[in-house]
Amino acid sequence: MNNKLLIVDDEEGIRKVLSIALTDSGYTVFTARDGKEALDIFHKENPPIVLTDIKMPGMDGIELLKTLKQESPDTEVIMITGHGDMELAIKSLKYQAIDFVTKPINDDVLEIALNRAHEKIRMRQQLRQYTENLESLVREKSARLVEIERQVAVGQAVEGLSSAMRAMALDLEGGLTYFNEMPCYVSIHSPELKVVAVNPLYRDRLGDKVGCKSWEIYSGKTGTRGNCPAGQTYTSGKGLRTRAIVKTVSGENAPVMVNTAPIRNQDGDVELVVEISADITEVKRLQDELDRSRQRYQQLFDEVPCYISVQDRQFQLTAANRRFKEDFDVKQGAFCHEVYKHRVEPCPNCPVVKTFEDGRSHHSEMVVTAKSGERYNVLIWTAPLRNASGEVTHVMEMSTNITQIRELQDHLSSLGLKISSISHGIKGLLTGLDGGMYLVESGFAGDKPERVQAGWTDVKTVVDRIRKLVHNILFFAKERELKRSPIDGLNFAEDVAATVEAKIMINDIDFIRDFDETIGTLNIDAGVVRLALINILENALDACLEDQADKEHQIVFRVQQNTRQVIFEIQDNGIGMDQETYENLFTLFFSSKGNKGTGLGLFIADKVIDQHGGKIGVESKPGHGSKFKISIPKMAPKSKQSKEKKE
Amino acid sequence: MPKKILIIDDDPAIVRYLKAVFSDNGYATCNASSSMEGLAVVKAEKPDLICLDLQMPGEWGPRFYRNLRKDKELKDTPVIVISGIDGDHAVKDAVAFVKKPFDPEKLVGIVKNTIG
Repeated sequence: MNNKLLIVDDEEGIRKVLSIALTDSGYTVFTARDGKEALDIFHKENPPIVLTDIKMPGMDGIELLKTLKQESPDTEVIMITGHGDMELAIKSLKYQAIDFVTKPINDDVLEIALNRAHEKIRMRQQLRQYTENLESLVREKSARLVEIERQVAVGQAVEGLSSAMRAMALDLEGGLTYFNEMPCYVSIHSPELKVVAVNPLYRDRLGDKVGCKSWEIYSGKTGTRGNCPAGQTYTSGKGLRTRAIVKTVSGENAPVMVNTAPIRNQDGDVELVVEISADITEVKRLQDELDRSRQRYQQLFDEVPCYISVQDRQFQLTAANRRFKEDFDVKQGAFCHEVYKHRVEPCPNCPVVKTFEDGRSHHSEMVVTAKSGERYNVLIWTAPLRNASGEVTHVMEMSTNITQIRELQDHLSSLGLKISSISHGIKGLLTGLDGGMYLVESGFAGDKPERVQAGWTDVKTVVDRIRKLVHNILFFAKERELKRSPIDGLNFAEDVAATVEAKIMINDIDFIRDFDETIGTLNIDAGVVRLALINILENALDACLEDQADKEHQIVFRVQQNTRQVIFEIQDNGIGMDQETYENLFTLFFSSKGNKGTGLGLFIADKVIDQHGGKIGVESKPGHGSKFKISIPKMAPKSKQSKEKKE
Repeated sequence: MPKKILIIDDDPAIVRYLKAVFSDNGYATCNASSSMEGLAVVKAEKPDLICLDLQMPGEWGPRFYRNLRKDKELKDTPVIVISGIDGDHAVKDAVAFVKKPFDPEKLVGIVKNTIG
């Protein structure tokens, strides 16, 4: 406590007495003779209490009071007045003197005055202290408010960030659902490199580090003040991306990919740093999983026993699986109809078109041609592929090769047909045989030679038909390979003609041979081609026999050639064919001849010629007759040769 | 006067066979190779019984049968179906179904039971 006290009086006696008394009371006393000297001492010692006489030469007490109060309002001044100076004493109180004492100075009165001065000083100090405390309190409180504000803002930032990520994950749903699971540790750091806020996952895995040092979670070099991501960001002022190892709550080391971003205040200073760390192991695991499932899909795509393709609105193939590429010639940007059917335009009844139209699945069955030239029956299913806004942009087409099933089905149905047809035919033939036998037997018994004759003719006819039927059945039942061998074309034609000629002549029908004699050698399976030609020639005979028209019937058997092919032409002027017969000509078991036909003849003929790489052309008009034109390559074509070997 | 039997079959061998069997058993016969021809013959000859094959070119036996039954004068003529087709019931009130190949004695027995 400052015990300094300045006494100002022009009377030395008073100065001395007061000085002694007050020193005794514990004051450090300074004395001055006048106002001027008093100010000098005051400036030097700065005493809190000044005791001054009013009437002094030069600067008087009032003047000094005014100056002191102006210079230092906290200094307390006590006035000493002579007897009868009441007016001056009151005036001094107006100028903020604390009290006055009158001469002769009474110690008690002085003590009261001094106490009052002290009281005032103490009160003022207390007041000042209060005031100052209040100010610091306000500062403190507002600082805390700012801090809270800031934390709220940070919290909102973290929350906003997480919700943004959630939203992003939602947006990406379907494509990237794994984003939902992506573990990201989000934390905010202050310039003092303290953790200000963390997200729940951070808290779960790394602990609640709010208030801890920013580098605490890191191990190794990153785990220091200057090298931690937040510290580096504050130093450089730029966001960074780095790999680091963090220590988890369970004590494990987890590799993370850290991304930081500085958040600046209005002045452009980095105020906060956001740190987002992704657990790499987890990301890697998810990525692996994704890769695996993708791989599985690819595998599925490639291995399913179907042809799968994806097509755009122009029917261009944008993707095709392995099987598709194996069996078909798939070029980038090729058209579906081009690849499957070698067509220039889209196919009629295309299920892909329908799917583009109504967005539903459609199916159909089609016959397509593989790059090997083989024809496959395929069952086609389509499915729409939509973009994010639900529009069908592509169509996936799955085609199952059902050729074998169809073949089996054909085989089965033809087998059924065959059995019923054959059984019917055989029944007729057996009845005919019974009839012939009956006629022969009863003819002998009743001695009727003409009946024996008729019966015997029937037996021969029926046996001939049975022979033919059995022959055809055997041929049909067995898919036999061609046995090509060189043969002289002209000899072959003569042989075929000789076989049927007698039968034709008997029926009074002209048989005309018209052979190109320079045919040369043919490399064919003579046995089966002969059978095919005889079948057609016998059909011609039947056509003439059926014809009721009164005209000269004739059958022409021509053999011609061009550079590659030999052409057999069989023309009759018999009944000709109606439309149905014409269309079903080569259909298995179709017969226009009732009990006499097996429905096998032309079916087999067609097959045989096809096996040789040739074809049968037919012209016919009801009432005018028919013309069959059988063209066969003289030599086996290469593709046919290889196919035969394969078979 | 012997009873007359009409034979309708497209196979001439079978027609010859049936003719021989029936005439040997004292019946008169006539024949047709199609159902169209058959109807005409029925009207001209007024047979006492008809033997009908079901599967023939042009027209099927059943159609002939329906046409036959529409004709008031002819509708009561008994019909025996002789066919290689199994279990065909297209001809409802035929006297009998005889499957090819048939036993001639049994066929004659049926004919005798029907028309004497």
